[in-house]
Amino acid sequence: MGYVGKGVPSLTNTRLVAGRGQFVDDIALPDMTHVAVLRSPYAHARIRSIDTSAAESLPGVIHVITGDEVKANMNAIPETYDTGAVGAKGVKWYALCLDRARYVGEAVAAVVAEDKFAAYEARDLIEVDYEELPVVADPEAAMSDDAPLVEPDWGDNIMATRDITLGDPDAAFAEADGVATGSVRSSRITGSAIEPRGCMASYDPYDDQLTFWDSTQNPHPLRQYLAGTLGVPDTSIRVIQPHVGGAFGLKMPTFQEEPLVAYLARKLGRPVKWIEERTENFQTGGHARDTRFRYDVAYKDDGEVTGIRLEVLADVGAPTALCGWGMSFVTWYCLPCVYKIPNSETHLRSVVTNKCPWNAYRGYGKDAASFLMDRIMDHVARETGLPRADVRFKNFIPADEFPYPQVSGAMLDSGNYAAALEKVLDMVGYDDFPRQQEEALAEGRYLGLGIGQELIPEGCSMPGSLILNGSDGVEVRVSPTGDVTALTGITSPGSGNETGIAQIVADGLGCELSRVRVIQGDTESCPWGFGNYSARSIIIGGSAAQLAAGDIREKMALVAGRMLEADPADLEFSEGNVTVKGTPGQAVSFDDVASDVYRNPHGANMEETEPALEATRHFKIGNVYHQPEKQGRFSAYPSWPNGAAACIVEVDPETGQIEILKYCMVHDAGTIVNPLLADANLHGGIAQGLGAALYEQIVYDEAAQPLTATFMDYTIPTAVEIPRMELAHQETPTPFTPLGTKGVGESGVGAPLGALCNAVEDAFPDLDITLNEVPLTPSRVWSAIQEAKTGAPEREAVSR
Amino acid sequence: MISSELAFYAPATLAEALEQLAAAEYGATILAGGMSLVPTMNLGLARPETVISLNRIDELAYIEEDADTIRIGAMTRHRDLIGHPIVQAHCPSVAAAASVIGDVQIRNRGTIGGSVAHADPAGDYLPVLAAAGATAVVRSATSERRIGAREFVVDIMRTALEPGELLTELELPKLPADGGSAFVRLARVEGAFAIVNAAAVTSGGSATIAVGGATASPAVAEVAGDASLEEAGDAVYEATEDAFGDLSGSAEYRREMARVYARRALAEARDAAANGGGAQ
Repeated sequence: MGYVGKGVPSLTNTRLVAGRGQFVDDIALPDMTHVAVLRSPYAHARIRSIDTSAAESLPGVIHVITGDEVKANMNAIPETYDTGAVGAKGVKWYALCLDRARYVGEAVAAVVAEDKFAAYEARDLIEVDYEELPVVADPEAAMSDDAPLVEPDWGDNIMATRDITLGDPDAAFAEADGVATGSVRSSRITGSAIEPRGCMASYDPYDDQLTFWDSTQNPHPLRQYLAGTLGVPDTSIRVIQPHVGGAFGLKMPTFQEEPLVAYLARKLGRPVKWIEERTENFQTGGHARDTRFRYDVAYKDDGEVTGIRLEVLADVGAPTALCGWGMSFVTWYCLPCVYKIPNSETHLRSVVTNKCPWNAYRGYGKDAASFLMDRIMDHVARETGLPRADVRFKNFIPADEFPYPQVSGAMLDSGNYAAALEKVLDMVGYDDFPRQQEEALAEGRYLGLGIGQELIPEGCSMPGSLILNGSDGVEVRVSPTGDVTALTGITSPGSGNETGIAQIVADGLGCELSRVRVIQGDTESCPWGFGNYSARSIIIGGSAAQLAAGDIREKMALVAGRMLEADPADLEFSEGNVTVKGTPGQAVSFDDVASDVYRNPHGANMEETEPALEATRHFKIGNVYHQPEKQGRFSAYPSWPNGAAACIVEVDPETGQIEILKYCMVHDAGTIVNPLLADANLHGGIAQGLGAALYEQIVYDEAAQPLTATFMDYTIPTAVEIPRMELAHQETPTPFTPLGTKGVGESGVGAPLGALCNAVEDAFPDLDITLNEVPLTPSRVWSAIQEAKTGAPEREAVSR
Repeated sequence: MISSELAFYAPATLAEALEQLAAAEYGATILAGGMSLVPTMNLGLARPETVISLNRIDELAYIEEDADTIRIGAMTRHRDLIGHPIVQAHCPSVAAAASVIGDVQIRNRGTIGGSVAHADPAGDYLPVLAAAGATAVVRSATSERRIGAREFVVDIMRTALEPGELLTELELPKLPADGGSAFVRLARVEGAFAIVNAAAVTSGGSATIAVGGATASPAVAEVAGDASLEEAGDAVYEATEDAFGDLSGSAEYRREMARVYARRALAEARDAAANGGGAQ
């Protein structure tokens, strides 16, 4: 019954496959100008002076802007993630560097020209006199007393600190049967959206209206940030999000170029467009994940983990107004993920360096936390000689203990981790694998099985934030002809949430899906909302859609009841018809009801009833607690989707190359609105997780110069490398959304890291190999095999 | 993007191209398929003042055979080599290398001459030509000379071409009836440059193995026909002392992979010979 739960193909498929999407660079206006941005070639340098004369005299150049003009005319860019609200340090970041550049790629000056060619040529004619400053290139070095400072005002390079203790770790370690210690590292990566960043602005001085097209995820918040930076009323700005060619969090505002382009359009009175190049994207488009962990774990001989001490050291790059550094906070916040560990001590140090700032990337730090916990569980299995799955089963938070309070203050809403793991072990053939492995080994082939467990909380709601917020709005309109429009505050980066919204609205109204048109990404027409991030579109936007559709359905039932002389409670709405339960012949069409509402507002059927069929509702998700309790803890994530993955790999011992033979995942996102699109999101998440596990790394040298400038240096997997995935859903609905939806937008990205490391280790039962650092490049795997063969003593077979 | 102005020539004949090349006061950059040059220009790493495109010169795109050799014009596209009967019959490794370069678009546009003259250490034709004992035919407005494939690449992205010279043809000896050849490569993902690539040719009483990717130009080793795979691998390993490292692998890793892929190439070449896979 209904559309929710059906695998309806995405409503945008035909347009996008036909190549008729409209992306920001497809938009052209008469009289349009083009921007090229000059970026710092140094990781840290003082800007002594800038000579723009040669650039300005080039034919076709309209204007050259530097930090002096920005300082005189623009405010600092408002922070996306309020550092003050969580006790972190912040900076004033401007659309161009005022006097100091803090990473390679930070915007120093910009040219506006009649065409792109003149803009780029003029950019290369700007002469900047830099004074190189000492560079902070490594997070551990950044913590030393004599380290140069990324922000001289701060006194040190530590942006955020968290230290929380739960229970009595000292006693747990004293009473443990064993203690294991280790380190884990997740490399710096980026999200590789195929469409880089870009925006365009056009100003109408007569109406004082700036129209701003942007490949962004968050039109309403961006409007606030642009207005704040420009010092103009937010009503004088309209933000439009065209189609977005991939975002993954990395298109959350606010980048320097966005207010810069807005300012230039207002100043020059001509449309201004800026489209990023791939090399700029690698330098400045936002990085993620660069995290080092140290752990001590106390365990009993039966595999019970009784205590942990975890240190998280995140290299968040240079501080800006972007929200990416918050990923380090969330990594810490998720620990110890799906496990019930009574005595925990967790420490976070978010450290700044002279590298590209972090921006949000799918997983938002949850990935790294899951990776760490997988490595710890495998380590305990190795030390105790117990099977890997058993150690996990022993330590899972039991299904009957939800809602479960985590050490960080997080309140886990629901879950059944053991059931998901059991199912995935079944899918991968865990019990039969030793036989399979032995047979392969007899042929000289090395097969390994790995397990990965992920916890990817969603619906992020931070205190005081005008973007990371647990509410959103939807307006549903039914027209006089019975056609339906849903306008949403949430947006789609290409993930298909417009289709899910249409399904929810069609069910809410009891009409055909084909009647429903979804409009997103325009601050002028769509209700207030925060856009797309943290898998919130269906859980929060979808809930608002259900409420708005419910309001209209209620009014239509009232009117239809009067038309049919029936009790509204006895009416059934289905596929555009309204019938009376138990009275087959008694019916009226959805269209006729809509028509009567609009044609006869003064008629008998509309007595005491407000005209028209339009409803705007805003949904605020539960399970968020912002009042800090003892130790300053608060709960920012309402919904906790999770999953268990298992994979089988074959490793070439001569080269270190890994082939994934089987990849299975059981995922729990609560109620699934659209299984086809949920799987599509998992495919993407898993592919990006495999990218991080096997291929991707942003590399800087000791002077913090980036060495990965193009896709030739930064390897991402394509459809050729991604294995077929076997997926299953376990639906444990959350009590905190009306449909029980938990979010699936980031899922899949966390489990591959631990699963792949574990599988490769498992492929060599006779060697003592520990792989705690991703990506597992062939050379890294090969080196580990060589070291184990030549150096370390043999160990007992890896337990499973 | 390419924002600086440049002089661009697109001659229709080789003679015209060689004249323009000779006349270019500060030297000219040759544009073949453009699959390496254009990205390099887009990145601002190359800013040539004069570019001479060979794309209109039909006389440079051909695959011909004599009694003992096949001759490939420098402007022959990778795509045209893959399924070509003469190449398949007499130098199948050339087709094997052509079939894994980049992606479909790159193979449609890129040329063997462009790839060889670009002299990227991981270029896929280089070990094939070195193992086969091929010859590069080089022309200028006033002269023609022949350079052995093993002498053609002199350093990373540097060739034996003198100013005013153009690579016009590659000449390969046909694989003998009892011979076999193979081409194998190690790369992170499909379409990526190889970490190492290796070609082997067996012929009569000997085998030649050439491995690219680890050193500036392919490391070549000749072994006896009955040499073990280990001996062959070790011989190549010895020839890669100057191996370099980069983001895709350390020097040590590349040397070891040169050894491994030398063995794999030779094993496949022997299989091919045993199956009559050489000259058909």
